[in-house]
Amino acid sequence: MTWWSVVRFAHVMGAALWVGGQLTVSLVVMPLARRLLDDERRATVMRAVGRRFGLFTAAVFLPVQLGTGVALAWHKGVTWASLADPGYGRILAAKLALFCAVMATAALHGWASSGGRPALARAAAVASLVGSVGVVLLATALPAT
Amino acid sequence: MTSEIRIEKAPPGPPPGPVRHRASWHLRANALVVAWLAATVAAALAGDGLPAPRWLLIHLFLLGAVSTAILIWSEHFTVALLRARTPEPRGSLIRLGVLNAGAVAVLYGMTAGPWPVAAAGAAAVVAVVLWHAAVLVGMVRRALPGRFGHVIGWYAAAAGALAVGGTLGGLMAAHVAHGGLHERLHAAHAQVNLLGWVGLTVLGTLFTLWPTVLRTRMSERTRRASRAGLRLAASGLVLLTGGLLADLRVLAAAGLAVYAAGAGAALVPLAEAVRARRPHTGASWMLAAGVAWFEISLIADLVIVAGRPTEQVAAALEPLVPLVLAGFVAQILLGSLLHLLPAVLGGGPARFKQNAALLERGWPVRLAALNAGVPLLALPVPEPLTLLGWALVLASVAAFVVLAVAALVRSAAEEHPARRAAASPALAGVVAGCLLTAAAVVVAVTGDPGPAASVTATGARTVEVTLSGMRVRPSVIEAAPGTVLTLRVTNADAQRHDLRLATGERTPMLAAGQSATLRLEPLGETVEGWCTVAGHRAAGMTMRIVPTAALAGAGTGHGTHDPAGQARSSDGGTAGGTDSGGTAGGADSTDPGDTATGTGGTGSGDTTPGSGTGSADPGAPGLDLAAPFSPGWKPYDATLKPAPGGTEHAVEIRVDDRTVLEVAPGVRQRVWTFNGTVPGPVLRGKVGDVFTVTFVNGGTVGHGIDFHAGANAPDTVMRTIDPGQRLTYRFRAEHAGAWLYHCSTMPMSLHIAAGMYGAVIIDPPGLPRADREYLLVSGELYLGEPGSDGQVARLREDRPDGWMFNGAAAGYDHAPLKAKAGERVRIWAVAAGPSSGTALHMVGAPFDTVYEEGAYLLRSGDPGGAQVLDLAPAQGGFAELVFPEPGRYPVVDHAMRRAEAGAHGLFEVAAR
Repeated sequence: MTWWSVVRFAHVMGAALWVGGQLTVSLVVMPLARRLLDDERRATVMRAVGRRFGLFTAAVFLPVQLGTGVALAWHKGVTWASLADPGYGRILAAKLALFCAVMATAALHGWASSGGRPALARAAAVASLVGSVGVVLLATALPAT
Repeated sequence: MTSEIRIEKAPPGPPPGPVRHRASWHLRANALVVAWLAATVAAALAGDGLPAPRWLLIHLFLLGAVSTAILIWSEHFTVALLRARTPEPRGSLIRLGVLNAGAVAVLYGMTAGPWPVAAAGAAAVVAVVLWHAAVLVGMVRRALPGRFGHVIGWYAAAAGALAVGGTLGGLMAAHVAHGGLHERLHAAHAQVNLLGWVGLTVLGTLFTLWPTVLRTRMSERTRRASRAGLRLAASGLVLLTGGLLADLRVLAAAGLAVYAAGAGAALVPLAEAVRARRPHTGASWMLAAGVAWFEISLIADLVIVAGRPTEQVAAALEPLVPLVLAGFVAQILLGSLLHLLPAVLGGGPARFKQNAALLERGWPVRLAALNAGVPLLALPVPEPLTLLGWALVLASVAAFVVLAVAALVRSAAEEHPARRAAASPALAGVVAGCLLTAAAVVVAVTGDPGPAASVTATGARTVEVTLSGMRVRPSVIEAAPGTVLTLRVTNADAQRHDLRLATGERTPMLAAGQSATLRLEPLGETVEGWCTVAGHRAAGMTMRIVPTAALAGAGTGHGTHDPAGQARSSDGGTAGGTDSGGTAGGADSTDPGDTATGTGGTGSGDTTPGSGTGSADPGAPGLDLAAPFSPGWKPYDATLKPAPGGTEHAVEIRVDDRTVLEVAPGVRQRVWTFNGTVPGPVLRGKVGDVFTVTFVNGGTVGHGIDFHAGANAPDTVMRTIDPGQRLTYRFRAEHAGAWLYHCSTMPMSLHIAAGMYGAVIIDPPGLPRADREYLLVSGELYLGEPGSDGQVARLREDRPDGWMFNGAAAGYDHAPLKAKAGERVRIWAVAAGPSSGTALHMVGAPFDTVYEEGAYLLRSGDPGGAQVLDLAPAQGGFAELVFPEPGRYPVVDHAMRRAEAGAHGLFEVAAR
């Protein structure tokens, strides 16, 4: 139990909250809202939920993940060149790329829902969720040494 | 002459029914183009994971997407321009189907399958375009004279160009040409396909498409410019192709210049149209940019063709290919589809506008990205910038593919509203997310070395690797696990090769004579290597790096293992291009600081892929010389015929290194031979006779020949020639004797041990007649596939598995030689070795005459006698005797170890 454990804990926790939050909104909040609320109030609620989640993402999740992620990589001795190496480097690079794609999709979701394109927003939200699960998959594939 | 051409609408004539049918068939056909484009993007992303990645990328795009698009659209335009009746849709579908099947066959055959599949695919493609051209010409014939008939000439000429280019491609797939001729074929293939099939089609289409895209009028001078342009361009193409194939640089350059002039003439009316109306849509800008890149690449091409020998054109064009593909072809294709797809998708003016808007979405960004990326692909910029260029180009193409798929899906959904439900946003999101994840996983997993990463280095070695004649030499490298191997790879061929290993290391494409160094990770598991040039892997340009521990486990080794940092390489043939036998092709390239003597892992008798004829249990104890030979086995005829008359002898000697012979009772294995026998054919003559030997390498690796009986500088006549080549070896036999001839390619120990030897008998003047004459050529027997690790190891340690007279151990025990008591029998002998001589002895009958190395040691009538005809390796002579009484007389090599391991035969002597 060193300080690095704490950093890793924060990184894993952040990921769990982000993926879990998306799952909760998509699988719990959305269907219930659709069933219980009329169109107008549902729109208000969902907009508020989306805004809050977006705020959480930008203010907490992203800084924590980026900070702890960079620190962990530095601790592990990852260099730019080693990102291309097969094995740990390649998996990490793929994970980072997928993470960037997920963030872009999430941003697309925010833009589409505020711009009145519900279908695109929905598709982007689901894509972002599935992609996030993919990030977790790649994280578990990283060799544990 | 000045009316606006509208090709986005079907000609007014036919009734509505067929029109709808037509739109739907075009829809489906264009889905093929989009699918090929998607496959191209996927191949580019998969990159090195694919066999022959570069070739595959080029041909997925050009042969798949572009050729399909040209076939569809040139027919469509011909119909629209001539206001002709749509040709039989079944014919069009068949053409399209065969073209795509041919393309798939070519792609599969070149990258994975046997080459005949690729050649058959090329033939199918050629047949389809010829049929296509015939259909177009037929339509022109039947149509009323119109203003646009001239365009069809361009399409027909383009189809003719692909017929030529496809034929050239098929010839390359069949490996009919080697070295320089292959490179010239390659250059002609690329030029005629790109400038002819693609270039002529594009130029012809632009006459009408360009004014339509600009929404302006066609220039007055179009028809004249078109006719002049086509005449110049087509004849220029003929000159260019002929010049490249015939190795006439000036002719080729002149042809290209004429072609460029034709293209210039054709572009004049287009430039006039621009003056009338500026480009204002995505389609028009993309087309304009595409034409600009076409001109740039034409100029660069002209510089290349004019500036260097024709063999080097193909290699020099290499960097230009991405520019032509992405800048010119892809951009023209995207621009045309951008303009034409909405019209094809149909569905009324509102739908047309919607589709057009969808496809044009973000076009300035896509245009800028593509055209910023193109120069980065062609210029010698650092690696990251090239990658950036690819990213820009591919992103632009991928964006179009996505939009086009969306438009196609939307139209399909319009036609079948029931399917609309399937395209729900949630499902789309799941699919997008899964695709993203799958792509990331593919990136993460590719090139994973697996357990090899944990291997610790135990030593270091450098091995010379030669690429030539469709072979990688050595074909098998053995090393102790953990050895850090460095491969110095040299292309000794006249055509280009590279070497790529399954672990991901690869050399750049190497021109003739170039070298590159690969440093490998510590050796863990068996590593495959191959040349990525299309078709070369299938043709046998492969190698393997094998950890020795893995080998020992596979066989019944009786050697001791010496683990630390030793490596051996066995050579499947020659070092490429050895002229005088002075260089060894990696037969033994042990580090100076490494004292390994190559003793480990000799258990396996057979490690060469594709063999299977070798004995399972090598080593002398495994030979059962008393066992019978297989039924049908015939011994080499030891009877020596008298010299034919005349003083000139013409002989053809052909290498066959795929022969399987029975080398010991029950042991059939592959041997390397001259004319299919061990020993090779016997040449016999008198002193002063001239032998003209036509030496043909019908084998699979390089071979040469060396006649000891001749006096020639070795440089030319004894040079190694590649499979399929021949040379003439002329020598005058100035001296009498029993002479050896053998393969002159390094490592000679291997080539001789594998069976490549024979005898030349030059009778001494005044040689008396004997009642019988026999020839025995002694040689060592090494079990296993020639060149396999176990065989080479025993060869190097001088540990043969047996000894043979005339290519079979104990052969004449099972098929005794005949004689009669009282007859004078002359036994000629040559010791082929490679390392053992022979001490030829007849049990029970002394020799009364011995002639050895050009001189009599003993003559009949002398008081003395001889017990042994003693020959060092490569020496020859004869001994004579008279059998005293009937009986069975063993003839042996009196080095008894050799006699007991096969150098043993019988004379069955009958009563007179």
